[in-house]
Amino acid sequence: MFRIPTRHGKFGRVSNWVFLLIICLVAFSLSGCRDKPDAASEGAEADTGKTVLTAWAHHGKSVEWETLQKQVARFNASQKAFRIELIEIPEADYNTQVQSAAATRELPGILEFDGPMLANYVWKGYLQPLDSLISAEVRSSLLPSIEAQGTYQGRLYAVGVFDSGLALYGNLAQLTAAGIRIPHGIKDAWSVSEFDEILARLSKQGRQNGGHGYALDIKRDYTGEWWTYAFYPALVSGGAQLIDTTDYQSADGVLNSKAAVRTLQYFQRWMKAGYIAPNTDGRAFIDGRVALSWAGHWEYPRYSKALGEKLRLIPLPDFGGGTRTAMGSWCWGITRNCKDSGAAAKFLDFLMSGAEVLAMTEANGAVPGTRTAAEKAQLYRPGGPLRLFVEQLDTCAVPRARTPAYPVITSVFQEAMGDILNGAPVKKTLDRAVRIIDENIEQNEGYPPSGGGK
Amino acid sequence: MKLPRGDTVWGWIMASPAVIGLLLFMVLPFVVAIGLSFTTYRFNSPLPLRWEGLGNYIDLLTSSDFLRAVLNNIMFAAVVVPVQTGLALMLALLVNQRLRGMSVFRTLFFMPVIYPMALVAVVWALIFAPAPTGLMNRIVALFSFGHVQAPIDFLRNGYLAMPCIMVMSIWQGVGFQMVILLAALQGVPETLYEAARIDGAGRVARFRHVTMPQLRNSLIFVAMVTTILAFRLFDQIWILTRGGPNNATTTVLYQAFVASRERNQIGLGAAMAVLFFIFVGVVTLVQHFGVRQHREIQ
Repeated sequence: MFRIPTRHGKFGRVSNWVFLLIICLVAFSLSGCRDKPDAASEGAEADTGKTVLTAWAHHGKSVEWETLQKQVARFNASQKAFRIELIEIPEADYNTQVQSAAATRELPGILEFDGPMLANYVWKGYLQPLDSLISAEVRSSLLPSIEAQGTYQGRLYAVGVFDSGLALYGNLAQLTAAGIRIPHGIKDAWSVSEFDEILARLSKQGRQNGGHGYALDIKRDYTGEWWTYAFYPALVSGGAQLIDTTDYQSADGVLNSKAAVRTLQYFQRWMKAGYIAPNTDGRAFIDGRVALSWAGHWEYPRYSKALGEKLRLIPLPDFGGGTRTAMGSWCWGITRNCKDSGAAAKFLDFLMSGAEVLAMTEANGAVPGTRTAAEKAQLYRPGGPLRLFVEQLDTCAVPRARTPAYPVITSVFQEAMGDILNGAPVKKTLDRAVRIIDENIEQNEGYPPSGGGK
Repeated sequence: MKLPRGDTVWGWIMASPAVIGLLLFMVLPFVVAIGLSFTTYRFNSPLPLRWEGLGNYIDLLTSSDFLRAVLNNIMFAAVVVPVQTGLALMLALLVNQRLRGMSVFRTLFFMPVIYPMALVAVVWALIFAPAPTGLMNRIVALFSFGHVQAPIDFLRNGYLAMPCIMVMSIWQGVGFQMVILLAALQGVPETLYEAARIDGAGRVARFRHVTMPQLRNSLIFVAMVTTILAFRLFDQIWILTRGGPNNATTTVLYQAFVASRERNQIGLGAAMAVLFFIFVGVVTLVQHFGVRQHREIQ
């Protein structure tokens, strides 16, 4: 049996005490870890006397992240009284991180987040209204879609440096070879029945050329928010919605309506017919395996490099009510945890200034978030290759359901889209989605107005 | 000052770091969870906290999603425990032969155990890729001589998703059981085999009457551990299928995670955890006493 060897020895008692002392020291040194400065804490910095403001941002594309780091460095160099400390949070499960931080009251002062989460964050009281914080100049220059996305119950809570664009990218060579009409703009977008025929023709052409007969890429390799972002516009175009937008109390009769079933049945059919490429390597469009790619603005740099002059931007098909597209992207807000809202607003003003918006959108290829920058940007000015995105945002972009229930709605819809594409009965799948959404709204007592929380 | 004497006291002092850790990080949270499971507690919600009584439990026991999760857990355990234990025994017998280079094979079979499940899942996502070029699709096409319509989307097919998860879980976990059984095999005294041989026992008889009884305790241990691990099914689900398609691979832990982390319904998540604890506890106890009685009969 194991015994403390010194227990019966000459210096037994002394050694016992030494032994205990060592245990205590170890214990103290372990608990001492807590005294290190906490990354999320805000306050004055001892050496420079500057106030430190923490900002959380998502790490998506590396060029975007690098640009943001440079922007923060530029801003910090121009400020004497305070400094922004940028903290990198991985994009996957970003919302979960925010919710956890809020639960332990460790939200940063400045928070970047994905646009559709806004209503939920406001309802839970994370965010401060920006109306009296950001400059009037920035406010008046915002793109209408950025303003719409950042507003909840009449107040502005977030500003976006850029907006997103969603459309079809077409391979002109393959489309003309199949004798397909190319729409000029929003007004003459393909109707869904025309699109149906186009896919069939492209698939046949692909098979004749010895391929697998894929015609369309819808980014089946993506997971998460993409599935709501990219396909709820089709739902709206077909005459349905994610939730009844009059009072946001139920999805019944809306998300499982005949219009919704009809719209999503198209996708199921295209999948079954083998038109939709698996795109496991993310290169279906680049390698010419498909002629059409249902994708966001962020694919433009890669696509244009691969296809050059053959690349054409085409509005999404019209499912009955005119073509619709998505809007919204990552945006910036100021939390109620912020020690110095004025300083934080200065940082937001800085990010929204013309030069900085251009710097960011030139790096990540997104639609500039201010009118002035959009008119100047190479890609987005009138006649630019991505001008369609700006026109879409002005006329036919629809915001994702602006309700605190959105996180649940989107996770349920993502699951439903996956199931439907893989052959699950459409009506039954949507009924189940509706049940989960309605249950959640009920469990949250209908998300009653909270006055911005605590 | 006098220090307490005696082994008991020293025992407690030596054990205290572990015991304190256990109390602080296992027992306390669990007690808190039991308390929370009777409330509507949600993260960050502006709604007032309310006492639900058994409301969460009733909701769960009547929820088709939760019951499906329990069923999936049972199905998974019912397939994985016997198959994995059997396979581990076969592998252990295989690598117990005294041949050159055997340690290479032992290492190879044990290697997946060392990899984190997250990594294994990502690798298997590539194997199950729904493209004609995906490894599993290639294999299926090869062995069906092109009769199976490729490509199959294994992980998003309602009938195939769970079996696929089972296959990869067994592949990942079997090495662990193999090593335990291998150790047990090497502990079987050679004299028993010798005696059996003298008595004229053949290969099969030696395996049935010498090896199996000697491995009995190890096999029981392995089956019990595998059962508990099987019920904890989560990582592969989170990474590969997120419970889909249509709940085909949802599990209790997955549901608890989604409820508490994604929907912030901590009260509901806690109720799931409590039910799960009771369930696994009962299964383990039944196994334990079932096996013990058996031993007494012997």
